[in-house]
Amino acid sequence: MSEAVDHPGSQRRAEGSRVTRQIMRIPTRYPGKWVWDLCFLICLCFLVLFLVSVVILFRNGVGVWGNTIPVNWGLAISNYIFFVGIGHAGTLISAMLLLLNEHWRNALNRFAEAMTLVAVICAGLYPILHLGRFWRFYWMAPYPNTMDLWPQFKSPLTWDFFAVLTYLIVSFLFWYIGLVPDLATMRDRAKKRGGQVFYGVLALGWRGSARHWARWNQSYRITAAIAVPLVVSVHSEISLLFAAGPIPGWTSTVFPPYFVLGAAFSGFAVVSMIAVVLRFAFRLEEIVTDRHLDLLGQLLLACGMMTAFGYVAEIFDALYAGEKQDLQTLFDRFTGENAWSYWGAVILNFLPLQLLWWKRMRIFPVTLFLIGLSVTVGMWLERYMLLVTTLYRDYLVSSYGSYAPSFWEWSLFIGMIGGVFLLPFLLFIRFFPAISAFEIKESQFEDQGERQGD
Amino acid sequence: MTSEQALSRSQPADKTQGAEARERNASVWRSLDEWLGTKSFKALLEAEFPSIAPAADGINRRSLLQAMGASLALAGLTGCSSTADETALPYVEMPEGETQGIARFYATAVSLAGYAQPVFGKTYSGRPVKLEGNASHPASRGAIDAFTQAALLGLYDPSRSQAPRLVGEVSSWSAWERATVERASMLDRTGGEGFRLLTGRLTSPTLQRQISEMMARWPQARWHSHEPVDDRALHAATRLVFGRPLDRHLRLDRAEVIVSFDDDLLGPGPRQVRQAKGWSDRRMAAQRGEGASLLFVAEPTPSLTGIAAGDRLIAAPARFSVLVANLANALGVEAGSVSDLSEQERRWVQTAAERLQAYRGRALVSVGTHLSPEMQALALLINERLGNLGQTLAFTTPIAAFPPDGDRSLEALVEDMRGGRVSTLAILGTDPVATAPSDLSFAEALDRVELRIHAGLHVDATANRCHWHAPLQHELESWTDLRAVDGTVSIVQPLVKPFWSVRSIHTVLENLGGRLNGVGDQDVVRKTWLPDWGIAFDANWRSALLEGFVAGSAPRPEVPPVVNRAVNLGVAQGQGGGLTLLIQPDPTIFDGRFSKNAWLQELPKPITKICWGNAVLVSPALAAERQWTNGDGVRVSAGDASVEGAIWIVPGQARDTVVVHLGYGKQSGLAGKLGFDAYQLRRVDALCQIAGVTLEATGEKQTIVTTQPQHAMDGFDFVRKVQRAELAALEPLKTKQPSFYPAAEASSPSWGMSIDLDLCIGCNACVTACQSENNIPVVGKDLVAQGREMHWLRVDHYYEGDPDDPDMAFQPVPCMHCEQAPCEMGCPVNAAVHSYDGLNLQVYNRCIGTRTCSSYCPYKVRRFNWFDFTQGDAESVKAMRNPEVTVRQRGVMEKCTYCIQRIEGARIQAKKEGREIAEGEVVTACQAACPTTAITFGNVMDNQSAVSRRKAEARDYALLEEVNTRPRTTYLARILDDEAQRI
Repeated sequence: MSEAVDHPGSQRRAEGSRVTRQIMRIPTRYPGKWVWDLCFLICLCFLVLFLVSVVILFRNGVGVWGNTIPVNWGLAISNYIFFVGIGHAGTLISAMLLLLNEHWRNALNRFAEAMTLVAVICAGLYPILHLGRFWRFYWMAPYPNTMDLWPQFKSPLTWDFFAVLTYLIVSFLFWYIGLVPDLATMRDRAKKRGGQVFYGVLALGWRGSARHWARWNQSYRITAAIAVPLVVSVHSEISLLFAAGPIPGWTSTVFPPYFVLGAAFSGFAVVSMIAVVLRFAFRLEEIVTDRHLDLLGQLLLACGMMTAFGYVAEIFDALYAGEKQDLQTLFDRFTGENAWSYWGAVILNFLPLQLLWWKRMRIFPVTLFLIGLSVTVGMWLERYMLLVTTLYRDYLVSSYGSYAPSFWEWSLFIGMIGGVFLLPFLLFIRFFPAISAFEIKESQFEDQGERQGD
Repeated sequence: MTSEQALSRSQPADKTQGAEARERNASVWRSLDEWLGTKSFKALLEAEFPSIAPAADGINRRSLLQAMGASLALAGLTGCSSTADETALPYVEMPEGETQGIARFYATAVSLAGYAQPVFGKTYSGRPVKLEGNASHPASRGAIDAFTQAALLGLYDPSRSQAPRLVGEVSSWSAWERATVERASMLDRTGGEGFRLLTGRLTSPTLQRQISEMMARWPQARWHSHEPVDDRALHAATRLVFGRPLDRHLRLDRAEVIVSFDDDLLGPGPRQVRQAKGWSDRRMAAQRGEGASLLFVAEPTPSLTGIAAGDRLIAAPARFSVLVANLANALGVEAGSVSDLSEQERRWVQTAAERLQAYRGRALVSVGTHLSPEMQALALLINERLGNLGQTLAFTTPIAAFPPDGDRSLEALVEDMRGGRVSTLAILGTDPVATAPSDLSFAEALDRVELRIHAGLHVDATANRCHWHAPLQHELESWTDLRAVDGTVSIVQPLVKPFWSVRSIHTVLENLGGRLNGVGDQDVVRKTWLPDWGIAFDANWRSALLEGFVAGSAPRPEVPPVVNRAVNLGVAQGQGGGLTLLIQPDPTIFDGRFSKNAWLQELPKPITKICWGNAVLVSPALAAERQWTNGDGVRVSAGDASVEGAIWIVPGQARDTVVVHLGYGKQSGLAGKLGFDAYQLRRVDALCQIAGVTLEATGEKQTIVTTQPQHAMDGFDFVRKVQRAELAALEPLKTKQPSFYPAAEASSPSWGMSIDLDLCIGCNACVTACQSENNIPVVGKDLVAQGREMHWLRVDHYYEGDPDDPDMAFQPVPCMHCEQAPCEMGCPVNAAVHSYDGLNLQVYNRCIGTRTCSSYCPYKVRRFNWFDFTQGDAESVKAMRNPEVTVRQRGVMEKCTYCIQRIEGARIQAKKEGREIAEGEVVTACQAACPTTAITFGNVMDNQSAVSRRKAEARDYALLEEVNTRPRTTYLARILDDEAQRI
């Protein structure tokens, strides 16, 4: 095609195939294989740790954790909320921005969606693991049974069940539908028979015909339209897990928006981190450009400031109402034995964030990564704080208690991060196009078209 | 380490020693003293016993259960072998009216510190599953304390001694009989020279008869008695005033004004139920406006009585003589010159004196029976002056048999043992090696006795130092008789045949007298009563067994003439320097006799809420001065003796007072080494109080386990109070809370509970009743430390105000059975649901353990099965379970059900008879046990029911009313007499 470089169309094609090459080389001829192998090995160890923790838990009961009365819920539920939260960014970036036709999303959406998927899987595991009788988890589902028993639909946990399940299905569909054209590319580029069959099956016979594209466009956009309200509804619902309980520190109408924003905030933070790492690891500066980092930084800053407003609103609520129990909880958060989680959340979520007011900081990958990390930890602390500081001292002074996660709780969490979150993600970047090649090409084409139209 | 491991480890030693022992045993058992000299014997003892105790300090439930199971398995027996005793329980013959699965009740009694505690034993197919109070018994009137209820677990305790032992090694009853017959024939020749018998407090007429027969046969023999917590000072006081030792009997139902000088009238002990019942009668009358109920207490450390008191004065132990003397002077009883009082003390004494004057003949001044005889004597004289004698206070000759050496019986015995005048010592049912004052060096003296015989429920410290150990029957599996604190005799009949090859104390005594196991225990008891009852024997016997006591067998309380009014208080200066140590019986394991009882070990102590151990209780001021916090290790030194324990700060304790509780720190047994042994500090001349002790920090931190880390009410109104003066015109405390929802429909009957905080004394009887009724598992020290105790009903203890002199209160908290229950809304699987009769149900089968209900519960009354708490129980413990109550699986939530099994039982009965459930037909376990009738339960739709009448009172309020859960359990506010008392 070198003779046709002057022609604008062939130039585009050349550029397009460069993009494809750049992206597709990752799964096909994996660069820096030993790094990946090392990471994979480490993650496998974490998976083993996770499995051991689960076996210990299942053999002995929830008692191996640090949960007590009054802190019935511990790390399990705060991690559940944390994982669902970070999942939100994927859907937000992919679906919302797809519908808004924001082209820049195309560099980020694929791995953000993959991240969403693994995060929701992690989140979904926790409520089952934390059950006293985990082998009866399916009783949460409305299934036909001889006793005509249904779930109790007033319970936020029942809604949780539906929310997480719906979210899992929709994010999977959205991720997979978006992947199909690129899977076909992979199929076409696969050198070995195994790869050809693997990608061939997954590509569902995609040939790139106009009709395919039309159908694909329809289904992709419809799924996106379904996914967008989920972003708001799922985490609003999860906030009701707390807000519906008549416990000081939980019963608050500010919780749904507060949770949704917090979720988006933590999600963008994780996406920023992944973007920076992938960009560095695979030299993708041309695709994940400074502009992307800049936009991510702006989103992070916006969500962060709104979350900070949530903090202020919460304090205002408690002070304005002036209920003794609410004030007590507020002061417990400020000064109690778990004050570190409150101040940790406030500081990590607010202070480093302020650097993002400067563009130089936004486009500088290291700062963006560190701020993303800080926010991720901060948001984790916030979930922990909301749960523990509320429960450990609720109404009756006599039932005050304390909570510290046990070894097996930490091992499960760490094992889960490495083995259930990172491991599938590693597999994903190893075997699937981590960035949507065809969408980048499409957007480049459209952008150029627009420019030429000027 | 479990006892299984311990036993297997000690196997080799057993084998060699065992062979040796059998050889010697077969030929010359009388040369046992040789054994002592041999190193092998000592090694055997050491190898055998100390190692049985779990090595770990913190015994956890699992190892406890393993140990329980193991000891049972090793014995080759199961609880299933227990069957009904035919003579007591006609069940085996399937008599008319008997139905499988229907409980039968048998009236009997168990002892606490020697006194009968009357019970109804509930049995299913011959298995006792619950002990209830005996409503017609004059002393208890249906109430029952925690100790008595926990005796049930004592019966099933697999760690009980199960076979006779000779020098620590399992032997046989035939060997025992050979030994005792031979020794008896030797004693016959010498007239019992050198034979001594040591028992605990002895109220059994049969045992008294047997002992007096023995003493008649062996004139040179002597009987001694030892009770760790005794009445020696009281007896000395009555001897001072009336010329002879007497027991006092308080009529608290008549005492409108009580002034108590560190006398824990409502506190734990054999008299608790009787006195609490009397006090609550008075209190309820005062609530109705019939007379007063004023309680003035001066005490150095909070007690149940002090917390119930309207006017509590914190006084150092050394101040009591001054206080009593001042009160005496104020009331015109000559008490000699006294030093000055502080302003606070003066006000207290003055108010008390004024009220006592105003209520002459209806008042009572009491001085703790551990305080000096002179002070107690002075109090008796004050009562005489006020005309209270015969009204609120009367006397009988001691209910318990008085040993020949009087209250210094043990000291006399030890002296003789040291002097080599004791060749044979039989110790029955008491553990003097562990519980004798340390300066007696009982163990050392014991080693000088040629033949030492011990009989008891457990292989305890004394058993380890004796040649022979004979396992005794538990009272629930034996025939005997006992006197209650008022002197009423109960014929104790077995609820079940003995689980193991154990003998009753009567048979053991017969054996010691050289008679073999010929006569049955029942006949031994009958023989005692035959002369008295004569021709009416059969009728009397039958009615005694049916009623649970012998009517009219209590001695009539009398008021003997005062023979001496000159009481010299000694130096009434009241300014002891340094720290004063108080040694008290433990509120849950008493003098240590219940240290192997897991229910009582896990029962939170009423005031500190500590369980599975004891602590060194200090005042907040002292702790602040020495910069100690809870759990800091300290060494308590009194004279030569010292113990190491951990600090626990008790608000409301006198500044320089240190309190320790007896009964912990024992080496043997399943409960291992918990806490420290306060007996080490006891001296013959200072059994309960030692001045000038020192405390020094050891620098180590110990884990003290408590179920309630925080006691300060922090300005909340969980426990509400009203003034008695305002009672008549009181606006209802309960306010109508708004709701978006229509009021829940209620059918009749609809159940509700009312708890009168004005009557609750925080005694824990309800907690143990609930545990026993509802198969509530014990979880052990470690899990309690993590906040995982399983009690469905807890008794919260709060204090308010200045920690140095706070107001305190108790509040029992069962499930509130909210009409708008947050737990029901939270449960995703319909496991928490509301019943049509107003119960908040927990469907165990449906529960998957999300714990949402507990997170949402504002009262945190729900309990979760974090592990499998039930499957690993020993078979015998399983046999103890109430068959009417589901045993919960791992991973499900549980909570108070309002004893739904009792409700359903009544419903079925009513339905069969085609009628409504009658008022008072359903009595919850906690309600039945409560000695002060603080708990009322019934149909809230019936305006005439007791619970409705209570809920209609103005002082009825809901806990956390503002949460709008509309609880069915409500409280009645405490009534304060502050205004009335400040004249």
